[in-house]
Amino acid sequence: MRTRALVASVIVGVVLGLSHAHAHHSFAAEYDSKKPVTLTGTVTKVEWLNPHVRFYADVKDEAGTVANWEFELGSGTSLVRQGWTRTSLKPSDVIKVDGFLARDGSRLVNAVSVSTGDGKKLFAGSSFEGAPKQ
Amino acid sequence: MRAFIGCLAACVLLTASVSAQWITVKLPRTPRTADGKPNLTAPAPRTAEGKPDLSGIWRRVAPTRNDNEDGNFNLLDWMPDGAQIRMKPDAEALYLHRRNVLKGGGRPSQECLPHSIPDSMLPPVIFKVVQVPDVTIILFEEFNHFRQILTDGRALPVDPQPAWWGYSIGRWDGNTFVVTTSGFNDRSWLDDTGHPHGEGLKTTERFRRIDFGHMETQVTIDDAQMYLAPFTLTIRFDLQPDTELLENICENEKDSEHIILGK
Repeated sequence: MRTRALVASVIVGVVLGLSHAHAHHSFAAEYDSKKPVTLTGTVTKVEWLNPHVRFYADVKDEAGTVANWEFELGSGTSLVRQGWTRTSLKPSDVIKVDGFLARDGSRLVNAVSVSTGDGKKLFAGSSFEGAPKQ
Repeated sequence: MRAFIGCLAACVLLTASVSAQWITVKLPRTPRTADGKPNLTAPAPRTAEGKPDLSGIWRRVAPTRNDNEDGNFNLLDWMPDGAQIRMKPDAEALYLHRRNVLKGGGRPSQECLPHSIPDSMLPPVIFKVVQVPDVTIILFEEFNHFRQILTDGRALPVDPQPAWWGYSIGRWDGNTFVVTTSGFNDRSWLDDTGHPHGEGLKTTERFRRIDFGHMETQVTIDDAQMYLAPFTLTIRFDLQPDTELLENICENEKDSEHIILGK
Protein backbone atom coordinates (compact mmCIF):
# COMPACT_ATOMS: atom_id res chain seq x y z
CA MET A 1 0.00 0.00 0.00
CA ARG A 2 2.94 2.24 0.63
CA THR A 3 3.92 1.86 -3.00
CA ARG A 4 0.38 2.63 -4.08
CA ALA A 5 0.38 5.79 -2.02
CA LEU A 6 3.71 6.78 -3.51
CA VAL A 7 2.42 6.25 -7.05
CA ALA A 8 -0.66 8.29 -6.31
CA SER A 9 1.50 11.00 -4.83
CA VAL A 10 3.75 11.10 -7.87
CA ILE A 11 0.77 11.25 -10.22
CA VAL A 12 -0.86 14.04 -8.27
CA GLY A 13 2.49 15.80 -8.11
CA VAL A 14 2.88 15.73 -11.85
CA VAL A 15 -0.55 17.06 -12.54
CA LEU A 16 -0.66 19.56 -9.70
CA GLY A 17 2.78 20.95 -10.03
CA LEU A 18 2.32 23.76 -12.49
CA SER A 19 -1.22 24.78 -11.73
CA HIS A 20 -1.63 28.51 -11.70
CA ALA A 21 -5.04 29.93 -12.16
CA HIS A 22 -7.17 33.00 -12.16
CA ALA A 23 -10.14 33.44 -9.90
CA HIS A 24 -13.45 34.83 -10.99
CA HIS A 25 -13.60 36.49 -7.57
CA SER A 26 -11.30 38.54 -5.36
CA PHE A 27 -9.04 36.46 -3.12
CA ALA A 28 -8.82 39.24 -0.54
CA ALA A 29 -12.60 39.58 -0.26
CA GLU A 30 -13.03 35.92 0.62
CA TYR A 31 -9.81 34.70 2.23
CA ASP A 32 -7.45 36.02 4.87
CA SER A 33 -3.83 36.06 3.76
CA LYS A 34 -2.86 36.47 7.43
CA LYS A 35 -4.49 33.18 8.37
CA PRO A 36 -2.50 30.37 6.77
CA VAL A 37 -3.57 26.88 7.75
CA THR A 38 -2.39 23.32 7.32
CA LEU A 39 -4.96 20.53 7.50
CA THR A 40 -4.79 16.78 7.02
CA GLY A 41 -7.86 14.73 6.21
CA THR A 42 -9.62 12.17 4.09
CA VAL A 43 -11.31 13.28 0.88
CA THR A 44 -15.07 12.71 0.91
CA LYS A 45 -16.16 14.38 -2.35
CA VAL A 46 -14.67 16.06 -5.40
CA GLU A 47 -16.58 18.57 -7.55
CA TRP A 48 -14.74 18.77 -10.85
CA LEU A 49 -16.54 21.82 -12.18
CA ASN A 50 -16.19 25.49 -13.04
CA PRO A 51 -15.62 28.19 -11.94
CA HIS A 52 -13.58 26.20 -9.38
CA VAL A 53 -12.73 22.62 -8.61
CA ARG A 54 -13.68 21.94 -5.01
CA PHE A 55 -13.08 19.02 -2.78
CA TYR A 56 -14.30 18.16 0.66
CA ALA A 57 -12.42 16.26 3.35
CA ASP A 58 -13.06 15.02 6.85
CA VAL A 59 -10.52 16.63 9.17
CA LYS A 60 -9.96 15.61 12.77
CA ASP A 61 -9.02 18.34 15.23
CA GLU A 62 -6.81 17.97 18.31
CA ALA A 63 -9.80 16.94 20.44
CA GLY A 64 -10.59 14.14 18.03
CA THR A 65 -13.69 15.77 16.61
CA VAL A 66 -14.17 15.21 12.89
CA ALA A 67 -15.56 17.96 10.69
CA ASN A 68 -16.00 18.22 6.96
CA TRP A 69 -13.98 21.03 5.31
CA GLU A 70 -14.28 22.56 1.84
CA PHE A 71 -11.19 23.30 -0.25
CA GLU A 72 -11.08 25.54 -3.33
CA LEU A 73 -8.69 24.99 -6.24
CA GLY A 74 -8.40 26.67 -9.63
CA SER A 75 -10.97 26.30 -12.40
CA GLY A 76 -11.65 22.87 -13.81
CA THR A 77 -10.59 24.16 -17.20
CA SER A 78 -7.23 25.45 -16.00
CA LEU A 79 -6.51 22.24 -14.09
CA VAL A 80 -7.29 20.10 -17.14
CA ARG A 81 -4.98 22.32 -19.13
CA GLN A 82 -2.27 21.64 -16.55
CA GLY A 83 -2.75 17.90 -16.84
CA TRP A 84 -5.17 17.14 -14.02
CA THR A 85 -8.11 14.88 -14.58
CA ARG A 86 -11.29 14.33 -12.62
CA THR A 87 -9.73 11.20 -11.17
CA SER A 88 -6.58 12.90 -9.93
CA LEU A 89 -8.14 13.27 -6.51
CA LYS A 90 -10.68 10.77 -5.24
CA PRO A 91 -12.81 10.10 -2.17
CA SER A 92 -10.85 8.16 0.47
CA ASP A 93 -7.53 9.77 -0.55
CA VAL A 94 -5.64 11.05 2.47
CA ILE A 95 -4.36 14.54 1.82
CA LYS A 96 -2.53 17.38 3.48
CA VAL A 97 -3.44 20.89 2.43
CA ASP A 98 -1.67 24.19 2.94
CA GLY A 99 -3.86 27.19 2.29
CA PHE A 100 -5.66 30.18 3.70
CA LEU A 101 -8.80 30.34 5.82
CA ALA A 102 -11.99 32.05 4.72
CA ARG A 103 -12.62 35.41 6.32
CA ASP A 104 -16.19 34.51 7.29
CA GLY A 105 -15.03 31.80 9.69
CA SER A 106 -16.54 28.91 7.76
CA ARG A 107 -14.69 25.65 7.20
CA LEU A 108 -13.43 26.80 3.82
CA VAL A 109 -9.83 26.93 2.65
CA ASN A 110 -8.18 28.31 -0.47
CA ALA A 111 -5.75 25.49 -1.22
CA VAL A 112 -2.27 26.59 -2.19
CA SER A 113 -0.68 23.16 -2.04
CA VAL A 114 -1.94 19.63 -1.65
CA SER A 115 0.12 16.61 -0.77
CA THR A 116 -0.87 13.00 -0.70
CA GLY A 117 0.44 9.71 0.57
CA ASP A 118 4.03 10.22 1.58
CA GLY A 119 3.49 13.80 2.70
CA LYS A 120 5.43 15.38 -0.08
CA LYS A 121 4.35 19.02 -0.41
CA LEU A 122 2.96 19.86 -3.82
CA PHE A 123 1.89 23.17 -5.26
CA ALA A 124 -1.78 23.04 -6.07
CA GLY A 125 -2.23 26.46 -7.51
CA SER A 126 -4.27 28.94 -5.60
CA SER A 127 -7.44 30.08 -7.28
CA PHE A 128 -5.93 33.53 -7.37
CA GLU A 129 -2.80 34.51 -9.29
CA GLY A 130 -1.81 37.08 -6.71
CA ALA A 131 -2.47 34.96 -3.65
CA PRO A 132 0.38 34.80 -1.14
CA LYS A 133 2.56 31.71 -1.27
CA GLN A 134 3.18 29.59 1.77
CA MET B 1 0.16 -5.08 -6.54
CA ARG B 2 2.47 -4.46 -9.46
CA ALA B 3 -0.36 -5.22 -11.88
CA PHE B 4 -2.63 -2.84 -10.00
CA ILE B 5 -0.07 -0.07 -10.15
CA GLY B 6 0.44 -0.65 -13.84
CA CYS B 7 -3.28 -0.54 -14.47
CA LEU B 8 -3.66 2.63 -12.39
CA ALA B 9 -0.87 4.38 -14.21
CA ALA B 10 -2.20 3.26 -17.60
CA CYS B 11 -5.70 4.50 -16.77
CA VAL B 12 -4.37 7.89 -15.68
CA LEU B 13 -2.18 8.21 -18.73
CA LEU B 14 -5.03 7.13 -21.02
CA THR B 15 -7.36 9.69 -19.51
CA ALA B 16 -4.68 12.36 -19.78
CA SER B 17 -3.98 11.46 -23.40
CA VAL B 18 -7.66 11.76 -24.29
CA SER B 19 -7.65 15.29 -22.87
CA ALA B 20 -4.33 15.95 -24.52
CA GLN B 21 -5.75 15.07 -27.92
CA TRP B 22 -8.01 18.08 -27.62
CA ILE B 23 -5.84 20.65 -25.89
CA THR B 24 -2.53 19.58 -27.40
CA VAL B 25 -2.88 19.24 -31.13
CA LYS B 26 -0.40 20.05 -33.88
CA LEU B 27 -2.24 22.61 -35.99
CA PRO B 28 -1.36 22.30 -39.69
CA ARG B 29 -1.26 26.05 -40.41
CA THR B 30 1.26 26.81 -37.70
CA PRO B 31 4.70 27.71 -39.10
CA ARG B 32 7.40 25.59 -37.51
CA THR B 33 11.08 25.67 -36.90
CA ALA B 34 13.35 22.88 -38.04
CA ASP B 35 12.74 20.97 -34.83
CA GLY B 36 8.98 21.05 -35.34
CA LYS B 37 8.18 23.63 -32.69
CA PRO B 38 5.85 26.54 -33.49
CA ASN B 39 7.80 29.41 -35.01
CA LEU B 40 6.42 32.25 -32.95
CA THR B 41 8.56 34.88 -34.67
CA ALA B 42 7.43 33.95 -38.19
CA PRO B 43 5.64 36.73 -40.08
CA ALA B 44 2.05 37.42 -39.10
CA PRO B 45 -0.37 35.56 -41.36
CA ARG B 46 -2.56 37.49 -43.75
CA THR B 47 -6.07 37.04 -45.05
CA ALA B 48 -7.01 36.60 -48.69
CA GLU B 49 -7.75 40.33 -48.71
CA GLY B 50 -4.17 41.04 -47.64
CA LYS B 51 -4.98 42.20 -44.11
CA PRO B 52 -3.20 40.79 -41.06
CA ASP B 53 -5.08 37.80 -39.69
CA LEU B 54 -5.51 38.07 -35.93
CA SER B 55 -7.00 34.59 -35.66
CA GLY B 56 -5.58 32.36 -32.97
CA ILE B 57 -5.72 31.65 -29.26
CA TRP B 58 -4.17 34.36 -27.12
CA ARG B 59 -3.30 35.11 -23.53
CA ARG B 60 -2.07 38.39 -22.18
CA VAL B 61 1.50 38.81 -21.00
CA ALA B 62 1.51 39.26 -17.23
CA PRO B 63 2.24 42.78 -16.07
CA THR B 64 5.47 43.31 -14.21
CA ARG B 65 3.84 45.15 -11.34
CA ASN B 66 0.52 45.30 -9.53
CA ASP B 67 -0.86 48.53 -8.14
CA ASN B 68 -3.08 46.89 -5.54
CA GLU B 69 -2.00 45.63 -2.14
CA ASP B 70 -4.71 42.94 -2.32
CA GLY B 71 -3.40 41.59 -5.61
CA ASN B 72 -6.38 42.49 -7.78
CA PHE B 73 -5.40 43.60 -11.27
CA ASN B 74 -5.43 47.33 -11.89
CA LEU B 75 -5.58 49.26 -15.18
CA LEU B 76 -2.45 51.05 -13.99
CA ASP B 77 -0.55 47.74 -14.28
CA TRP B 78 -0.74 48.17 -18.06
CA MET B 79 0.17 51.85 -18.12
CA PRO B 80 3.59 53.53 -18.00
CA ASP B 81 5.31 53.98 -14.66
CA GLY B 82 4.01 57.10 -12.98
CA ALA B 83 0.85 57.26 -15.07
CA GLN B 84 -2.28 58.46 -13.39
CA ILE B 85 -5.97 57.92 -14.02
CA ARG B 86 -7.70 61.18 -13.22
CA MET B 87 -11.16 60.49 -11.90
CA LYS B 88 -14.05 62.79 -11.14
CA PRO B 89 -14.96 62.93 -7.42
CA ASP B 90 -17.92 60.52 -7.53
CA ALA B 91 -15.96 58.04 -9.61
CA GLU B 92 -12.98 58.22 -7.28
CA ALA B 93 -15.20 57.64 -4.25
CA LEU B 94 -16.73 54.57 -5.86
CA TYR B 95 -13.31 53.31 -6.93
CA LEU B 96 -11.81 53.71 -3.47
CA HIS B 97 -14.81 51.96 -1.92
CA ARG B 98 -14.43 48.99 -4.27
CA ARG B 99 -10.68 48.89 -3.76
CA ASN B 100 -10.26 49.53 -0.05
CA VAL B 101 -13.56 48.54 1.55
CA LEU B 102 -14.86 45.77 -0.71
CA LYS B 103 -11.33 44.58 -1.51
CA GLY B 104 -12.54 43.73 -5.00
CA GLY B 105 -15.53 41.84 -3.68
CA GLY B 106 -18.79 42.09 -5.59
CA ARG B 107 -17.24 42.45 -8.99
CA PRO B 108 -19.49 41.08 -11.74
CA SER B 109 -17.33 38.08 -12.64
CA GLN B 110 -17.83 36.87 -9.07
CA GLU B 111 -21.34 35.95 -10.19
CA CYS B 112 -20.15 34.78 -13.60
CA LEU B 113 -21.13 37.98 -15.37
CA PRO B 114 -18.85 39.43 -18.06
CA HIS B 115 -15.54 41.17 -17.41
CA SER B 116 -16.33 43.33 -20.49
CA ILE B 117 -13.77 45.71 -22.03
CA PRO B 118 -10.89 45.94 -21.28
CA ASP B 119 -11.12 43.76 -18.16
CA SER B 120 -11.80 40.58 -20.15
CA MET B 121 -8.25 40.77 -21.53
CA LEU B 122 -6.50 41.45 -18.22
CA PRO B 123 -6.76 38.13 -16.30
CA PRO B 124 -4.59 35.18 -17.35
CA VAL B 125 -7.39 33.48 -19.25
CA ILE B 126 -7.25 32.56 -22.90
CA PHE B 127 -9.45 33.73 -25.75
CA LYS B 128 -9.79 32.79 -29.39
CA VAL B 129 -9.99 35.31 -32.23
CA VAL B 130 -11.90 34.16 -35.30
CA GLN B 131 -11.46 36.65 -38.13
CA VAL B 132 -13.71 36.16 -41.15
CA PRO B 133 -15.13 38.62 -43.70
CA ASP B 134 -17.60 41.11 -42.18
CA VAL B 135 -17.06 40.02 -38.57
CA THR B 136 -14.32 39.22 -36.10
CA ILE B 137 -15.42 37.11 -33.16
CA ILE B 138 -13.67 36.80 -29.83
CA LEU B 139 -14.46 33.63 -27.91
CA PHE B 140 -13.48 33.79 -24.25
CA GLU B 141 -12.83 30.45 -22.64
CA GLU B 142 -13.93 31.70 -19.24
CA PHE B 143 -17.69 31.20 -18.92
CA ASN B 144 -18.00 30.60 -22.71
CA HIS B 145 -18.56 34.32 -23.25
CA PHE B 146 -18.10 35.97 -26.64
CA ARG B 147 -18.07 39.35 -28.32
CA GLN B 148 -18.41 40.22 -31.99
CA ILE B 149 -16.86 43.06 -33.92
CA LEU B 150 -18.76 43.91 -37.08
CA THR B 151 -16.61 44.89 -40.04
CA ASP B 152 -19.27 45.18 -42.73
CA GLY B 153 -19.13 48.96 -42.78
CA ARG B 154 -22.07 49.66 -40.51
CA ALA B 155 -22.01 52.52 -38.02
CA LEU B 156 -22.38 52.21 -34.26
CA PRO B 157 -26.04 52.11 -33.19
CA VAL B 158 -27.61 55.28 -31.84
CA ASP B 159 -29.10 54.98 -28.33
CA PRO B 160 -29.07 51.18 -28.21
CA GLN B 161 -30.17 49.01 -25.32
CA PRO B 162 -27.16 49.15 -22.97
CA ALA B 163 -25.18 45.91 -23.13
CA TRP B 164 -22.43 44.22 -21.11
CA TRP B 165 -20.10 44.05 -24.12
CA GLY B 166 -21.47 47.12 -25.84
CA TYR B 167 -21.64 47.26 -29.64
CA SER B 168 -18.39 46.98 -31.60
CA ILE B 169 -17.39 47.90 -35.14
CA GLY B 170 -13.96 47.44 -36.66
CA ARG B 171 -11.92 48.90 -39.50
CA TRP B 172 -8.35 48.63 -40.73
CA ASP B 173 -5.88 51.46 -40.39
CA GLY B 174 -2.96 50.03 -42.33
CA ASN B 175 -1.97 46.91 -40.45
CA THR B 176 -3.84 47.94 -37.31
CA PHE B 177 -7.35 46.68 -36.54
CA VAL B 178 -9.21 49.54 -34.91
CA VAL B 179 -12.24 48.55 -32.84
CA THR B 180 -14.67 51.12 -31.52
CA THR B 181 -17.24 50.15 -28.93
CA SER B 182 -20.08 52.04 -27.28
CA GLY B 183 -23.53 51.25 -25.90
CA PHE B 184 -22.28 49.71 -22.66
CA ASN B 185 -24.33 49.25 -19.55
CA ASP B 186 -22.66 50.66 -16.44
CA ARG B 187 -22.43 47.41 -14.48
CA SER B 188 -19.05 46.04 -15.53
CA TRP B 189 -15.80 47.08 -13.86
CA LEU B 190 -12.92 48.24 -16.06
CA ASP B 191 -10.56 46.11 -13.95
CA ASP B 192 -10.65 43.79 -10.95
CA THR B 193 -9.69 46.62 -8.61
CA GLY B 194 -12.87 48.51 -9.41
CA HIS B 195 -12.37 51.39 -11.84
CA PRO B 196 -15.96 52.30 -12.75
CA HIS B 197 -17.54 53.49 -15.96
CA GLY B 198 -20.80 55.00 -17.08
CA GLU B 199 -23.09 54.17 -19.96
CA GLY B 200 -21.33 56.83 -22.01
CA LEU B 201 -18.10 54.83 -22.08
CA LYS B 202 -16.45 54.58 -25.47
CA THR B 203 -13.46 52.31 -25.98
CA THR B 204 -11.05 52.28 -28.89
CA GLU B 205 -8.84 49.22 -29.26
CA ARG B 206 -5.98 49.18 -31.73
CA PHE B 207 -4.89 45.57 -32.33
CA ARG B 208 -1.61 44.89 -34.07
CA ARG B 209 -0.26 41.41 -34.73
CA ILE B 210 3.46 41.88 -34.48
CA ASP B 211 4.39 38.42 -35.78
CA PHE B 212 2.94 34.93 -35.66
CA GLY B 213 3.24 34.58 -31.91
CA HIS B 214 2.74 38.09 -30.60
CA MET B 215 -0.02 40.68 -30.59
CA GLU B 216 -0.52 44.01 -28.90
CA THR B 217 -3.45 46.29 -28.32
CA GLN B 218 -3.72 49.83 -27.12
CA VAL B 219 -7.03 50.48 -25.41
CA THR B 220 -8.22 54.02 -24.94
CA ILE B 221 -10.87 54.62 -22.30
CA ASP B 222 -13.05 57.65 -22.97
CA ASP B 223 -15.72 58.26 -20.35
CA ALA B 224 -16.40 61.90 -19.55
CA GLN B 225 -18.91 60.94 -16.87
CA MET B 226 -16.23 59.28 -14.74
CA TYR B 227 -12.84 60.56 -15.90
CA LEU B 228 -11.28 63.97 -16.40
CA ALA B 229 -9.41 62.84 -19.51
CA PRO B 230 -9.16 59.76 -21.73
CA PHE B 231 -6.33 57.39 -20.96
CA THR B 232 -4.69 54.46 -22.73
CA LEU B 233 -3.30 51.13 -21.61
CA THR B 234 -1.13 48.76 -23.62
CA ILE B 235 -1.74 45.01 -23.40
CA ARG B 236 0.56 42.46 -25.00
CA PHE B 237 -0.48 38.93 -25.87
CA ASP B 238 1.32 35.67 -26.51
CA LEU B 239 -0.15 33.17 -28.95
CA GLN B 240 -1.06 29.86 -27.33
CA PRO B 241 -0.02 27.49 -30.12
CA ASP B 242 -1.31 24.02 -30.82
CA THR B 243 -4.19 24.04 -28.39
CA GLU B 244 -7.94 24.49 -28.33
CA LEU B 245 -10.52 26.11 -26.07
CA LEU B 246 -12.33 24.02 -23.50
CA GLU B 247 -15.91 24.35 -22.34
CA ASN B 248 -16.14 26.49 -19.23
CA ILE B 249 -19.65 26.84 -17.87
CA CYS B 250 -20.00 28.64 -14.56
CA GLU B 251 -22.20 25.95 -13.07
CA ASN B 252 -20.92 25.66 -9.51
CA GLU B 253 -20.47 29.20 -8.18
CA LYS B 254 -20.13 28.97 -4.39
CA ASP B 255 -17.86 31.88 -3.52
CA SER B 256 -20.39 34.70 -3.42
CA GLU B 257 -21.94 33.45 -0.17
CA HIS B 258 -18.52 33.74 1.51
CA ILE B 259 -17.49 37.12 0.13
CA ILE B 260 -17.38 39.80 2.80
CA LEU B 261 -18.45 43.14 1.38
CA GLY B 262 -16.62 45.29 3.87
CA LYS B 263 -13.52 45.36 6.00
